[in-house]
Amino acid sequence: MTDVAQRPPAAPGPNDPYGQVPRTAPAQPRPNDPTTFASGFQELPTLPVGDLRPARDAGYSAPRRALRRPWVVQLIAFLILLAVWQYLTVASDRVPSIDNILSFMWTEVTGGSHGGMLVGEFWGPLGLSLQRYAIGLAIGIPAGAVLGLALGTSSWVRGLLNDTTLVLLALPAVVWAFLASLWFGLTSTAPIVAVVLTAIPFVAINFSSGVRSIDPTLMEMSKAYQVSRRNQTVDLLLGGTLPNAFTGVRLAFTTGWNSLLIVEWFGATAGVGWRARFWYDALRYAGFVGWILLFVLLITLLDRLVLRRLERHAFQWNQKPTLSFAEDWGM
Amino acid sequence: MATVLIENLTKIYPPTITYPHRVQALGGVNMSVTGNVFVAVLGPSGSGKTTLLNIVAGVETPTSGSVRAVQDGVPAQVGYVFQEPRLLPWRTVLNNMLYVQDRKSDRSRREAEFYLTMVGLNEVAHLYPSQLSAGMQQRVGIARAFLVNPDILLMDEPFSHMDALTGRSLREYLQRVWLHTRKTALFVTHDVSEAVELADRIVMLRPGGVVFDDIPVNLPRPRHPDDPAVRAVEGEVLRRFDSMEAAVRFGAQAG
Amino acid sequence: MLTVPSVTPDAISELSAREMRRAVVRRWLFRFSVLIGWTAFIGVWYLFSRLVFNPQQLPEPHVVATESWTIITEQDVRTHMQASLLRVLAGFLLAAVVSCGLGWLIAYNAWWRTLLRTIVQFTVSTPIVALAILTLVVFGVSSLGPIITTAVVATPYIMMNVAQGLTGVDRRLIVMSESFGRTRSQIITGVLLPSSLISVLAGARLAFAVAWRMELLTEIFAASEGVGFQIRRSFESYDVRGMIAWTVLYIVVMLIFENLVFRQIERRLQGRTA
Ligand SMILES: Nc1ncnc2c1ncn2[C@@H]1O[C@H](COP(=O)(O)OP(=O)(O)OP(=O)(O)O)[C@@H](O)[C@H]1O
Ligand SMILES: [Mg+2]
Repeated sequence: MTDVAQRPPAAPGPNDPYGQVPRTAPAQPRPNDPTTFASGFQELPTLPVGDLRPARDAGYSAPRRALRRPWVVQLIAFLILLAVWQYLTVASDRVPSIDNILSFMWTEVTGGSHGGMLVGEFWGPLGLSLQRYAIGLAIGIPAGAVLGLALGTSSWVRGLLNDTTLVLLALPAVVWAFLASLWFGLTSTAPIVAVVLTAIPFVAINFSSGVRSIDPTLMEMSKAYQVSRRNQTVDLLLGGTLPNAFTGVRLAFTTGWNSLLIVEWFGATAGVGWRARFWYDALRYAGFVGWILLFVLLITLLDRLVLRRLERHAFQWNQKPTLSFAEDWGM
Repeated sequence: MATVLIENLTKIYPPTITYPHRVQALGGVNMSVTGNVFVAVLGPSGSGKTTLLNIVAGVETPTSGSVRAVQDGVPAQVGYVFQEPRLLPWRTVLNNMLYVQDRKSDRSRREAEFYLTMVGLNEVAHLYPSQLSAGMQQRVGIARAFLVNPDILLMDEPFSHMDALTGRSLREYLQRVWLHTRKTALFVTHDVSEAVELADRIVMLRPGGVVFDDIPVNLPRPRHPDDPAVRAVEGEVLRRFDSMEAAVRFGAQAG
Repeated sequence: MLTVPSVTPDAISELSAREMRRAVVRRWLFRFSVLIGWTAFIGVWYLFSRLVFNPQQLPEPHVVATESWTIITEQDVRTHMQASLLRVLAGFLLAAVVSCGLGWLIAYNAWWRTLLRTIVQFTVSTPIVALAILTLVVFGVSSLGPIITTAVVATPYIMMNVAQGLTGVDRRLIVMSESFGRTRSQIITGVLLPSSLISVLAGARLAFAVAWRMELLTEIFAASEGVGFQIRRSFESYDVRGMIAWTVLYIVVMLIFENLVFRQIERRLQGRTA
């Protein structure tokens, strides 16, 4: 009887909250033994597919265990970011506080006046920017895709256009934005052209490297089986290009959004960038920062919730046992 | 009736940056296979076996000589089991099977499932190739070759990627399926017992891609690898390889 | 028993000579198409500046070329390029120092890994234009702003690769060193640092590219000197010639760093470890 009572509590076994994610972490806390330095390397993290979860928290006291929950850590991360912002608010008089930004943006949405200044334009600029963005991508992504497929499949086209595409890729988005607004003035054409021109090389380069990454022995296989043209195009060419294609499209989305903001900031009479610039010139930093943060929020949500998920889905067949840090952290 | 006619077939690979010498993979191969026979091409590593099958399948072009693979006067449909699985990594097993079909109808799906069942893989039809073991992937390749209803079956060491146990049972299975369908088959291997167990005729290659012997195997089917008659033919094949090696060595000394 | 190959050595050499010739022709055709590609690029540029726009809106290539040359020889290329380079190097060094510590942390500590992962995911998907503009708000027009922002953007890339390098170290090497009684610091300098150096360098190259891009943008919004500032000034005075010329110089410096500096260091290192 006493034997049983004295035995240490068993480590939690199968009721693992994370399901099948393989983990290498020890069930028991490892005594931090300074005499064997190598012992610290026995359990180097093997990065599992998918989320990188913190090590199993058995053996820690209740508050420490709570601190190790992933969502708690994420919350702490956001609190740190907020604290940095709050510090900047105090340190610099140009940085508006969070509640100030929120209340300003709220008056932008509902209309009315804020601090004696008439505000209340929200959906107009936002809708216009999104419209320009959508048109630009709707032109730029297919154009880049066609160019990229041609670059990948034909060595002639590669010889002709690869260097040009690389030159276009090397041009910073801001230069495209400046050129577009010099060429097309204060119209809606300038932002659309800027989005198109920044999107095309990103999409093209990624499509082309996707095509070229397809294993040539698979083409031999298709030749031996006399696979139909349609199947070769859909399953082999497009199927093999898809993961890189998604990367290219995601980059087109983010850089296009960048150059849209620049064009609108420097040369437009409407749109998100223009509105931010408007409040900047009026020295209303709350409105200015609010619009910029809105801009960040939109692309971050699109990137994290839609684009990266699609990209991961397209890579689903690629079951790697471990991910590198960069892959796991989505960089 | 399917015929493979190989006349004076030579393949020379040009020098590459990594290996700046010409390589003679095949040196004047003459061979003709007609009708429902199972021919094994037996040779050590580097003797040009894969090159031979690639040329028959139309994947590579010969340097000189000619290859004709016809079925009743029209180009034959080949089913090729490659040395590696060669599956599309981004398609599931089932879709890999459907890839070689012209249309993706219900019927072709049923056929695909039938052949997957034949190699014992219908359970994993919806997994990706990376989720299968190497042997399982190779079995998908075998099922795919049967799926196109080939006139000529080309197989390039199909069992070399699997454990001996699976290989043995699949060998037996292949023999039964072949007896049922009796397709013209060119089977490349470096395993003597495999060749004797399966083939009606064994063509032996030596390095440089030269046929040095061609022996018939007239044993009743189904055969068993432990059968003394099979063992006897194996011994004969090995003896001929040894005398070939001796002759090559002797020739080298004399020259 | 032996069948003599039915091709004579002469036939072999003739056949492969033909294939060799074909390969050479193919290579020259490819070079030719590259040449045509560049000609077409320049030609289209000329066409656009003559027919679609006017030379005011898009100056011809040779005008841009002479302008770049003028900037290099006469104008203040020294001050502006130097300003940009000094700032980006300062930001880069700051990032390198910080990331060594953080990389160590995320390699061996799961809690810090989760924490920094969240923060990095947030900063990485923030558009760099927004960062540039926020720099303007927080620091105003100053030198400090671009340096800090550049460092913030570059840090994740170096940090990531420091961690990757450390976790990629062959554990058997460490265990082996320990069993031979090496001390902790000996293991660090003798095993850990050398074997993670290549990964760190790859990260540094990526980080530098990102930093250089960030530097340009912050200068566009929040600086009174530097390449970005010059591009912006040209833009605001409708001087497309100057704008493109400065952009060309900017890209050239980037290429120099990519291909000469980092690639050379990498090659040295690889030669030593291989
Ligand atoms: N693409 C190629 N380029 C140059 N040389 C090649 C190429 N493919 C094969 N070879 C050479 O041709 C010779 C025959 O190769 P092959 O692959 O046909 O041998 P194999 O009999 O199939 O060998 P194994 O049993 O190892 O598969 C080898 O010497 C090889 O180096
Ligand atoms: Mg082979």
